[in-house]
Formats: sequence, structure tokens, C-alpha cells
Amino acid sequence: MWLPALFLVLGLILGFLTNITIPDIYANYLSIAVLAALDTLFGGIRAQLEDKFDQKVFITGFFFNVSLAAFLAFLGVQLGIDLYLAAIFAFGVRLFQNLAIIRRLLLEKYRFIKK
Amino acid sequence: MKMNRLKNKEKLWISFICLIIGFMIAILFVTNQQTDQRDTRDLWEIRTSIKEEQESQEALYNEIATAEKVLQEYNGQSENQQISSLKESIGDLKENAGLTEKKGQGITISLKPLFSNKENNLEYPQLNAELLQLLVNELNDYGATDIALGNERIINISPIRDVNNNVYVNGSSIGDLPTTIYVLTSDSNNLMDHMEVSELRDYFALEDIRLEIKKVTELVLPAYDAPINLDGLKVLDSIEEGEE
Repeated sequence: MWLPALFLVLGLILGFLTNITIPDIYANYLSIAVLAALDTLFGGIRAQLEDKFDQKVFITGFFFNVSLAAFLAFLGVQLGIDLYLAAIFAFGVRLFQNLAIIRRLLLEKYRFIKK
Repeated sequence: MKMNRLKNKEKLWISFICLIIGFMIAILFVTNQQTDQRDTRDLWEIRTSIKEEQESQEALYNEIATAEKVLQEYNGQSENQQISSLKESIGDLKENAGLTEKKGQGITISLKPLFSNKENNLEYPQLNAELLQLLVNELNDYGATDIALGNERIINISPIRDVNNNVYVNGSSIGDLPTTIYVLTSDSNNLMDHMEVSELRDYFALEDIRLEIKKVTELVLPAYDAPINLDGLKVLDSIEEGEE
């Protein structure tokens, strides 16, 4: 568990140190991509806790979701429809669901250990 | 722990994805933290702009003061006096709009053909509207109060246009060169100096026109005689920006 967390921190440090900024017009795409990535990550953690984790599903899901979200945002900009809202909604709902399930699973585990 | 059941390779993959996520979040954060516009003016520039603002404030105060004075005059007068002061106001407004003749000191600028710089030049130099517009703009910039092109008084809405190789001002031709521009100003010397060193001389020279500038103590500008058409103007209903 500590290795992914360490890498997360490492990524954050790397990002802050390189001080890369992207143009404002692309910030939307990146924010959607970040949301998709977080969704995949929490989905992965949940699957792990449920003993259903599949590495291939996780990795393909990550890249597919991120690119799909960015593509959806792009399509929305081209068509003049705020399609990125759809992506935000879908990912947001899933994120909260996954978090709720993770919380319950952890609680159960805690009770189990206590007994 | 269940996590320990993961193979090392899988762990590495997940860590790698965490790395990417962290990187993305950091970039997004840095991008959003950026201040978009920084005020990079130094002390002197800020002082200058403060001074400009103060000057415009002062001008506005003066305007308010005159308006209030007029209002007081209206209020404290009998009907006859009110009528006469209204007439006075109308006269003032007419003078400002350019509907009356105006006398004063100023300069004259004669536009004359310039034949020296080309050999075998058989073409007679032509005036064009663009140059005249530039000239009028520059005169206004340097403190001209009233301008007349030939016999045509320039008012706020005077058009200067090219029509069939003729320059039309206020809808009528001002004829061929030579022609004279009459300018009223409060500071003739200043305006003359500015015009003497202006780049406009070069622009006019390119069209084979030379400028002869003279100072005149007593000038009379003709009145604008055509009706002023304000059909295009509308009263703005919405509150303008900056007002409350």
C-alpha cells in the first residue's frame, strides 16, 4: 500500500518542481482527465478490497477513461454542447459511490479485526 | 493484508499510474494557481496615471461646476431673464457645435503642389481624404479648437471622403490644390511648432504636396451651414459602465 502512495507523492513533487503550466484552453481537458484518473484509482482500490482486482482491467480502464473523458470534452467544445458536464457528472457520481463502498468495506474489516 | 497478495509487477503498474495521477494533479494545481495579470508598472508610471486621472477628475468637476452655475442662474431669475439665459445657452451650444462663425487667433496651412522631386512629372498632385483625415486628427491632437477645410467648417460629424478623385468635406468638394486649412487654437506657437516637425510633412510630400504653415492673429472660420442629421443617434436606456 505504501508504494503507490509514495509514487503519488513523487508525482506531485515532480509536477510542482518542473513547474509546467498548460494553456487555459486545455486546462478543462486536464481537469476532466484528472477526474477520470481519480475515478479509476478509487475503482481499483474498491475492486482490490472486494478481491476482484484485475490488473488489465485497471490499466486499460485508466488510459481508456482518461482519453475518453478528454475526447468527450473536445467533442463538446467542437459541437458547442457542454459534454464535459456529462463526464464530470458520471465520474463524480461513480467517485462518491466507490468511496462509500470503500468506506463500508474498511469498516467491516475493522469490525472483523476487532472481534 | 490483501494488498500483499499483489505481485510486484502489478504493484509497480499501480504505482506508475499513481505517479501519473500525481503529476497531472500537480500540473493542474500549478496552472490554476497562476495569477493571470500582474501589474508591472513602476512607481513613475503609476504616478503618471494617477496624475492623468486627477486631471480628468478636475475637468469633470469643472464641468459640473459650470452646469450647476447655469442651473442656479435658471432658478434665480424671472421669466424674461430665464428666456435670455436660455438663449445664451443655445448660443453657446451652437458655437460649440460649429454652427456659428468663429473668430480668433490660429494658424493657416496652405497645401500647395510640390514639383521639385520628380523629373518629367506631368501629373498634377492630387489631394486625398486619408491624408486630410490624418492632418485633422493631428491638429486636434495638438490643441486645435476649430478647423475649417477651405470653406467647409469641420464639426464633430463632418465626413471627409474621396469621391471621383475629389475630396469632399461635408458633402461638397473642396476643389483642387492649392487649398487652405484654417485652424483656431489657444496656443498658436505650440501648434505651429508641432506641425513644423510633424511626420505629416513627409506623408504629404510623398503625394507631391507641401505644407505652408503661417501664424495668423485674426482668423474667421465660416459656420457649418448644412442641417445636422442625428438620425443615427439613439438615447441609451441602459446605465453606462462606471455609472451607478
